[in-house]
Amino acid sequence: MKPTLFLSDLHLSPDRPAAAEAFEAFCRGPARDAAAVYLLGDLFDWWIGDEQLDEPFAERMAAALRGVTAAGVPVSVAQGNRDFLYGPRFVRETGTTRLPEQIVVDIGGTPTLLMHGDELCTSDVDYQRYRARMRAPETARRLLALPAFVRRWMARRLRKRSRDETALKPESILDVAEDAVVAAFRAHGVTRMIHGHTHRPATHHVEVDGRRCERIVLADWHDRGHWVEAGVQGLVRREIG
Amino acid sequence: MRKVRLDTSHGAIVLELDDENAPATVANFIQYANDGHYDNTVFHRVIDGFMIQGGGFAPGMKQKPTRAPVANEAGNGLKNRKYTVAMARTNDPHSATAQFFINVADNDFLDYKGPSPQGWGYCVFGKVVEGTDVVDRIRGVATGRSGGHENVPSEDVVIRSASVLA
Repeated sequence: MKPTLFLSDLHLSPDRPAAAEAFEAFCRGPARDAAAVYLLGDLFDWWIGDEQLDEPFAERMAAALRGVTAAGVPVSVAQGNRDFLYGPRFVRETGTTRLPEQIVVDIGGTPTLLMHGDELCTSDVDYQRYRARMRAPETARRLLALPAFVRRWMARRLRKRSRDETALKPESILDVAEDAVVAAFRAHGVTRMIHGHTHRPATHHVEVDGRRCERIVLADWHDRGHWVEAGVQGLVRREIG
Repeated sequence: MRKVRLDTSHGAIVLELDDENAPATVANFIQYANDGHYDNTVFHRVIDGFMIQGGGFAPGMKQKPTRAPVANEAGNGLKNRKYTVAMARTNDPHSATAQFFINVADNDFLDYKGPSPQGWGYCVFGKVVEGTDVVDRIRGVATGRSGGHENVPSEDVVIRSASVLA
């Protein structure tokens, strides 16, 4: 049985060549031997519209993805909080499938909730307000109507603001809120979830309505490539680069 | 160096145009100025911390007809620094016609990087030599949505006339 692979928070950018090389190695190797690959958000450090594919760097990363899907491995992409403007051209040129914000998939017989995970950080009220605004379909439409040079300026500003604000916030509110986790398990009736966003890789257990639930947090790719493999040995963390 | 004065509803802005480094762009701009194209146009996109853009719309967001586009001379080494003036364009690097913008911050990400669609950058062809205070007043105006456009001044910022000085 081929494994299913989960990864997130690669934050691919020309400023991080090591992560890009690790991603290419991942796409040439492990991804091609997988049953399916789930990219759970923030694949790119920013995505301001599909004309970004005209940039050599983004095209190189898209080509790596295309290699996986062309080999017959389905790749599903969730939007993160940085890369929420993927459009039809990205989907077409990479051969990937867009994921809704939250989805339950059967992984080796266990229904598993997949998401980027920023929606779980409900203690950060300002962020949730901002997220709601940015995720509104109206916002995407309005942003995509802006000229490319304005969107590039916005992406730079948003990245800077995210960095500055994150640096000023207490650690506790940047992590998921336990009640949001419980609510998500309850809402979907599952006992396992996999998400990214917090850059705090760990496996947590929580009791929800008498059921033992497992929450797997994916690692970012700032030092090297990381993913979780669901296969015959259960869930295993893997690395590359 | 040629100079063009923009008499706006917020005061006069004098642009010094670098015809040595951006000859085609400067000639293009001066022809629009001499043809009266810029008279009674607006700064229709104002983003404080970024740039103010104008020269393409009459009040009421009525787009004005233009001549054929000018070749992109962004490879001339001029940088998108604060108070420089550059040509606006679509995603096609060589699509600038009449619309221009004045940088109100250092916008190095708009500079020429190479002859690729994303690397061409935006062609700087001059700078503000008088009226930086006017530019500052304009960048501070209230903006909103109008006619399907974002960042449009709530009250028109009008270029009443553009005069070629020398």
